[in-house]
Amino acid sequence: MLATVFSKTVLDRWRGVTIGVMALGALLLMAMAIYRDIDLSIYTNLPEAFLSLAGIPPDADIAALSYNAVYNSYGALVLGGIAIAMGSASIAGEERKGTIGILLGNPRSRTRVLVAKAMALVLLMVLSAIVLWVAGVVSPQILGVSVEGMQIGAFVLHLGAASLLYGLLALALGAWTGKTGIASGVSAGVMVVSFVAVGILPLISGWADLARLFPSYYLGSSDPLLNGVHWGHIALLAGASVALFVLAVVGVNRRDLRSRSVGTSLVDRLRAAPVTAKAAERLAGSARVSSITAKTASEHQGLLLVVSMLMFWLMGVLMGPIFNAIDEYAADFGDVFPEEMLALFGGGDISSPEGYYQIETFGMVTPIALMVVTIAVAAKALAGEEANRTIGVLLANPVSRSRVVADKTITMVVFGAVVGLATFAGVSAGSWIGGLGMSYANIAATCTLATLIGLLFGALSLLLSAATGVVRLAIFVPVGAALVAHVLNAMAELNGADWGRWLPFHYYLGSDPLNNGMAWGDAAILAVGTILLIALAFPAFARRDLRQSG
Amino acid sequence: MTHDPAAIALRTEGLTKHYGDVQALVDLTIDVQPGEVFGFLGPNGAGKTTTIRCVMDEIRPTSGRASILGMDCHAQSVEIRRHIGYLPSDLALYPNLTGKDTLTYFANLRGGVEWSYVDELTERLGAQLDKKVGDLSSGNRQKVGVIQAFMNRPQLLIMDEPSNGLDPLVQREFQTMMREHVTDGGSVFLSSHTLSEVQRVADRVGIIRDGHLMALESVSSLRSKAMRRVQLEFGTAIDGSVFDGVPGVRDVVVEDHHAYLSYDGKMDALLKRLADQYDVVDITTEEADLEEIFLTYYREDVAL
Repeated sequence: MLATVFSKTVLDRWRGVTIGVMALGALLLMAMAIYRDIDLSIYTNLPEAFLSLAGIPPDADIAALSYNAVYNSYGALVLGGIAIAMGSASIAGEERKGTIGILLGNPRSRTRVLVAKAMALVLLMVLSAIVLWVAGVVSPQILGVSVEGMQIGAFVLHLGAASLLYGLLALALGAWTGKTGIASGVSAGVMVVSFVAVGILPLISGWADLARLFPSYYLGSSDPLLNGVHWGHIALLAGASVALFVLAVVGVNRRDLRSRSVGTSLVDRLRAAPVTAKAAERLAGSARVSSITAKTASEHQGLLLVVSMLMFWLMGVLMGPIFNAIDEYAADFGDVFPEEMLALFGGGDISSPEGYYQIETFGMVTPIALMVVTIAVAAKALAGEEANRTIGVLLANPVSRSRVVADKTITMVVFGAVVGLATFAGVSAGSWIGGLGMSYANIAATCTLATLIGLLFGALSLLLSAATGVVRLAIFVPVGAALVAHVLNAMAELNGADWGRWLPFHYYLGSDPLNNGMAWGDAAILAVGTILLIALAFPAFARRDLRQSG
Repeated sequence: MTHDPAAIALRTEGLTKHYGDVQALVDLTIDVQPGEVFGFLGPNGAGKTTTIRCVMDEIRPTSGRASILGMDCHAQSVEIRRHIGYLPSDLALYPNLTGKDTLTYFANLRGGVEWSYVDELTERLGAQLDKKVGDLSSGNRQKVGVIQAFMNRPQLLIMDEPSNGLDPLVQREFQTMMREHVTDGGSVFLSSHTLSEVQRVADRVGIIRDGHLMALESVSSLRSKAMRRVQLEFGTAIDGSVFDGVPGVRDVVVEDHHAYLSYDGKMDALLKRLADQYDVVDITTEEADLEEIFLTYYREDVAL
């Protein structure tokens, strides 16, 4: 099976892809079962503008709602994320690991390696789409839900094609730069911005056509579930994918390959320049390495900066003026909303700025942003030291294992707080600029609860990090747990089900903090959960044999 | 040799580590004395690094215990690390930090580092501290590792395959540094499979294979036990039967005035026998090479 670059790449990746896709299939079955048991009449009166915002097709029924809720949002992000991970690992990943030299020491050209990697990506996307298609066909049959007139295959084809495009974008960026950070970061950024833009732009009169600039537009705008394959859109996605692949081939052949080399950051340039050398030296040369906390923070500062800026500008500040642009639309349907429906989005009134911010900023993006940062720090900072084999030389210093856990925890908490603050500042500024008159105290309360839920899953990652030293486990278990908990929570809210109180997300937006202010009880529950998980991490790390390699 | 527990640099007592059914280390008992370089020798996978990782409290022994300067390696591990310098095998550092940043980081965590001493070490090894560690060759990265181990003037140096990647000149300098360290009263626990290095710097060696300690002796007594080639020249032609019954003599070849043989043990008995009967003109012996000894211990057919 390790006969070729192609088969090795497939072999390296199939487990992760399988788990991700199977999880989506299971979520679909779950969502469909829950939608089946609730009164769907609540959807029938909804205005089109709102449906677009929530990603629900106009003539919604059980199956359509389930497909959209699971495949269109989570599915697009998960499959896109997998493709981006594979794309950035293709060339840039081999360079970062320092394995590109030995790989190309074999009689294989750069182009051939790239083709093999791209083929593996294509194959796994096709297989993923097939699995999603099977799950999409089988689930309604198990549950006895009608799928008449629905073209699941077409829907899944669009999903797969869009994900492949993001994967090839990452591949091309990696091939040109050799930097995994740029490849995955920029691609993921494009995907998230595209996801948000396609939801919002059509609501603003005169801006609708701008949505065509974003790849995600070609995923769902033609509503393939009801209208079948839009071959024009598929051709566009495929054409762009081919173009990116050609660019990747050119890119990887024209530059010097890196050999486990490290990038040059802004601070490095400042240190090198005579004028700024002294100040930069103080910052990078002494402050950065003054403690474990400071050093850990400096290692993840890029991620923190990008996420904080995204939350501040895009999800915060910009949302204010955008709300005003779609205000007329939204005002029309203030009365139409049944209460159960509003519960799904945290109980806000969509025509109110609070309800709108809840859907766009707080519902999904804020917890994701926080978890990206907290889980990254928890997993990479602790288990990462074992995976990179630096834990030995770190612990050769007179610091206890407990102190290492404590210092890394501090970094995680500070990072969560920074993203929470950036979100607070952004939303407050958006409200102020747009003249929306939202309560700053309530925004602060919501951001605090968001930070706490981010820290809760970060703490879970920290515990797994401490107990196992395996980075993958510390990343994917909390991410999976968060995904399942988030979907279940949405279903429970919609269902009015009592078991929702067992899910952490219930204590995030369940009390509608943006309208009602701080729910101290909920905050306390999240905080206690976080503290418990962190407390368990200390003995877990202190007791076990450290790994020699990841 | 001291028996004061607080003075013994490193002591393991019945140290044993199992990974499931695999016995990585079995009942290891050794002492490293103050003022000595203790060479710890063995082929790849013999248990050298497992021993060091137990001592460093990275992993916990299945049974037995280890102590450094009288302090328990597990219970007092943090305090111990104020007094030791450690260079892990296959050293990994933080690729985004420069050598200087790396040393600053560890100096902050450790305390008691004089920068003038760091500068001196840097100069002796010819290390490059202004480049990012990720951009350094493995040898230059290893120099940063050596400096961080020495920089707080520790009492005990624990070095796991320290010469990896170092060029011969730097290896020589590094070996001098280890000797100076023990001359000043410090100790070195040197794990290695580079025989020439151990031969040059170690006072005593422990030889480990498949987790078992095979031998524990001073380098000089190991050498004296070693088989050596002896070439003898006589004033007259000799009869080969003169060597019969001399303990330790093997593979005798007699050619007229000359005899060639392998010899193992003290020379005393052989010389007495020869001097009684013949006129010995010249004796040439090749210096015993540790390599021969180690190869003997490493060979699979030697019973454990």
